[in-house]
Amino acid sequence: MSYSMSDTIKIQVANLQFSYQGRTVLRDVTVSFAENSITALTGPSGIGKSTFLMSLNRLWENIPDAHMKGTVEIKLQGQFRDVYARSMAVTELRKMVAMVFQVPNPLPMSIGKNVAFPLKLAGENNRDVIACKVERSLKMANLWDEVKDRLNDDARTLSGGQQQRLCIARALVLEPEVLLLDEPTSSLDQASTAAIEELLTGLKDHLTILVVSHYLEQVVRISDRVVRFADDTIIP
Amino acid sequence: MKLRILERLTVLFSWAAGFILLAAVFLLLGYLLVKGYSSISLSLIFGEASPLRALLLEERVFDGLFPAIAGTLVLVILSIVWAIPIGMATGIYLAEYAGPRVKKMLDVFFDVLSGIPSIVVGLFGFSFAVFLHKNFSDKIGPCLLISSIALSFLVLPYIIRTTQASLEGIPRDIRLTAIALGATQLQNIFLVLIPKSLSGIMSGIILAIGRCAEDTAVIMLTGAVATVGLPKSFFSQYEALPFYIYYISSQYSTPDELMQGYGAAIILLLLCAILFSIAYGIRRGLTHFAFYRA
Repeated sequence: MSYSMSDTIKIQVANLQFSYQGRTVLRDVTVSFAENSITALTGPSGIGKSTFLMSLNRLWENIPDAHMKGTVEIKLQGQFRDVYARSMAVTELRKMVAMVFQVPNPLPMSIGKNVAFPLKLAGENNRDVIACKVERSLKMANLWDEVKDRLNDDARTLSGGQQQRLCIARALVLEPEVLLLDEPTSSLDQASTAAIEELLTGLKDHLTILVVSHYLEQVVRISDRVVRFADDTIIP
Repeated sequence: MKLRILERLTVLFSWAAGFILLAAVFLLLGYLLVKGYSSISLSLIFGEASPLRALLLEERVFDGLFPAIAGTLVLVILSIVWAIPIGMATGIYLAEYAGPRVKKMLDVFFDVLSGIPSIVVGLFGFSFAVFLHKNFSDKIGPCLLISSIALSFLVLPYIIRTTQASLEGIPRDIRLTAIALGATQLQNIFLVLIPKSLSGIMSGIILAIGRCAEDTAVIMLTGAVATVGLPKSFFSQYEALPFYIYYISSQYSTPDELMQGYGAAIILLLLCAILFSIAYGIRRGLTHFAFYRA
């Protein structure tokens, strides 16, 4: 067994190539990420950082004219698995490798329903279980105290920072093992950014976090490791 | 300087065009109201019969519009009921599943379908009825069912196009939200994309309702007649307001009869207005319901 399969490695990417509409975005990227750590992905915009994240949860497959080569292995439920293998159901993968987007994207439903939405997708019907898990992940996202009295309010009435923490809570509700965040604070003010940074630091005991970030200070503040993207490849 | 004048002229022309359009609408409505106002009364609708007893279907209406109103209402509802599932399913297929080549091909087909004159659709419905009559049962002829099927073909393109356009107009963020949370494509379509585009789809349905209510060419070939009373079943002939208006305006013998035609036109407009407002009401409520239901 090679070194990459050691206990501390969570994600192993090899020879990743990616193109959109014939334009190569990533070329020959090989990198691995340690378990229970925060890794910051930095680099100029348009260099393929978001694309890289989407290759981990196969979200790019829903984008027209995208093509990928290479292998991505993630240790899920204690076992390294090729996420592009036939035996890997893509919906299952996305439940274990959750993602938060740049712009908060709550669905036009109540706060509670938003967080419960992935449970509904997974077919969970037991109200007590749902209520319990919703509370747990809102607490993990440091949002519970702010919203516990208005879970039935429309999620869009929350502030931008609260909305983003709501999206993080929603991503956490299925208890994923990996959390991908694509510039989660770029549309937020300083206070909200600080709240999210604090929250991410607290989360790394439970899961492995990859965060794309433009902000150098942020990178220094929260990440255990920095991976820099440049000219369609990476400088580890 | 020259550009400024051109700009002024464009603005002026746009204003004039808007004004002419509005004037035409108001002239038409005003003319109808002035002409038909005098004939509007309960007896226009119910004739000699007592309104309450007629509504409870206890008394037959002979010289009123009640059967035609009922016929048009049933016809519109039936046609929409056929058209909605087929139209929405096709729109969903085009927007979410079809590959680029299939899409291009079907696009042409649906453009052709929406360009077919309604009299041709009527003729098709008529031939269909004749075919059924000859090959299956001589009890089947032009009837409510055939009319509604033919009409639903006429309005399918509206529903297909609006469904497709509103689904395709959903931004990528929202499109990927549920997918990134582990939703299957079907879950994404039914739980996020459709609720999100309901309002657009309802606009298509509203257009379709209007078209079904006013179309005369299709129904005169497929089962509408001048006098037959209330529609008795899917397989019976029926009366309808637009056909009545057409019939009376081409065959009237006294000025009074023509007045009845104007009255019928006003009632048809009212009926459309009522159907439209119901559809608008549903549109407002439905989106909310789709996302917030327990």
